[in-house]
Amino acid sequence: MNSMDRERFEDLKDSYVLGALPEEERMEFERYLVAHPDLQAEIEELSTIARLLALSVWEQEPAPELRRRIMDTVEAEAVHPAEVVHPRARRRSWLAGLWEAVGPRDLALVAAAMLVIGLFSWSMLLQGEVRELQGRVRSLQSQPQEQSQGPQMIALGGAGTEQGARAELITFEDDRAVLVAENMPPAPEGKTYQIWVIRGDTPQPSGLFEPKGDSIAGVVEKPVEGADAVAVTIEPKGGSKKPTTDPMLVGKVKA
Amino acid sequence: MPLVEVGDAEAFAALYDRHGRMAYSLAYRMMGEEQEAEDVVQEAFVKVWRSAGGYRVGRASVRTWILSIVRNRGIDHIRSRASRGRMQDEVEVSAPTSEPSEAFAEAWRNTQQEQVREALNTLPHEQLKILELSYFSGHTHAEIAEHLELPLGTVKGRMRLGLQKLRDYYQARGEAVP
Repeated sequence: MNSMDRERFEDLKDSYVLGALPEEERMEFERYLVAHPDLQAEIEELSTIARLLALSVWEQEPAPELRRRIMDTVEAEAVHPAEVVHPRARRRSWLAGLWEAVGPRDLALVAAAMLVIGLFSWSMLLQGEVRELQGRVRSLQSQPQEQSQGPQMIALGGAGTEQGARAELITFEDDRAVLVAENMPPAPEGKTYQIWVIRGDTPQPSGLFEPKGDSIAGVVEKPVEGADAVAVTIEPKGGSKKPTTDPMLVGKVKA
Repeated sequence: MPLVEVGDAEAFAALYDRHGRMAYSLAYRMMGEEQEAEDVVQEAFVKVWRSAGGYRVGRASVRTWILSIVRNRGIDHIRSRASRGRMQDEVEVSAPTSEPSEAFAEAWRNTQQEQVREALNTLPHEQLKILELSYFSGHTHAEIAEHLELPLGTVKGRMRLGLQKLRDYYQARGEAVP
């Protein structure tokens, strides 16, 4: 296919958001998108329009048996109720909730603040404290949300980075990801770089890429959600079913 | 979602009760038959359960996120089918002739969904058909062009105009797209 440029991007963007690009063109499109983050907002907006179609279907009632089948799987994997920390439970005691929410260091700050304002009446103290705690909790609660907006990036380390390469895994959509690498040395003659998505002890072959120029974006062809790690190895041309060399780059996906 | 993320089955059941019907409806629209639609929904919800941590607040609503997973699973099923000879049937199904059954009339009082349908009804049938073929059936633009015996440029043009018109519908009313 023709190499991707702005004109081709414009030509393909509607097909992309509707999921109507063939695999190769889709990957090409996504590489271009990763390289041009200024275009991502436009694609996100267009995707929102395309997703309206999902809301247009006539509703159908699923069989109750479907719920039972799903819940059988879920309950077999569920955490025991005693192990679940319910946010509601946190609210039972504001002091217990505060301890969980802000941790001992911030609690020390709160205690210091309480001493400073100790000249005020007890009721004033309580009011001020409550406001401060509410602010802190709100602030802490908002942090993960702020961090979770937009693409998530995970830096990769390993032998490759010691040789000057830099690589990041960018989670791009629900279960898609792109590996962006800079300063990767060319693969040896007859070899290629191969991406692996690792779950437990099992590496799944997840795409090949060849560094050309300073930077390269390789589409991770397997879902990374729920995976343990993503790695890159050098493999024979055409790739391998299992890694045959030590990872050049590796990044932990799970928190 | 935070409770589902920490492995609370009860919270997950509530999530299914809230979104399961819409998810199944989408799967049924894509697959065209009950058994495969159920398989798609089951796989999708198990994925939701196992990767609830992947849901990102601020990027999409929970419903949108779940429906995206259902659609992706549906497309995988469709593409794994050996035969792709269903195009003609799908074109006919996509014609706006179906009516909701009495049993589900109440569900259609949902203003948001009604508005989406109203917006889609403003599209010329040729544009709507192409949007539906690509979104629900997983056909590539080239496959749609081939089966409808249209130039690829025409298919792309109708996609563009269709999406544009949907956006214009909401903009003209000063409303956010749901």
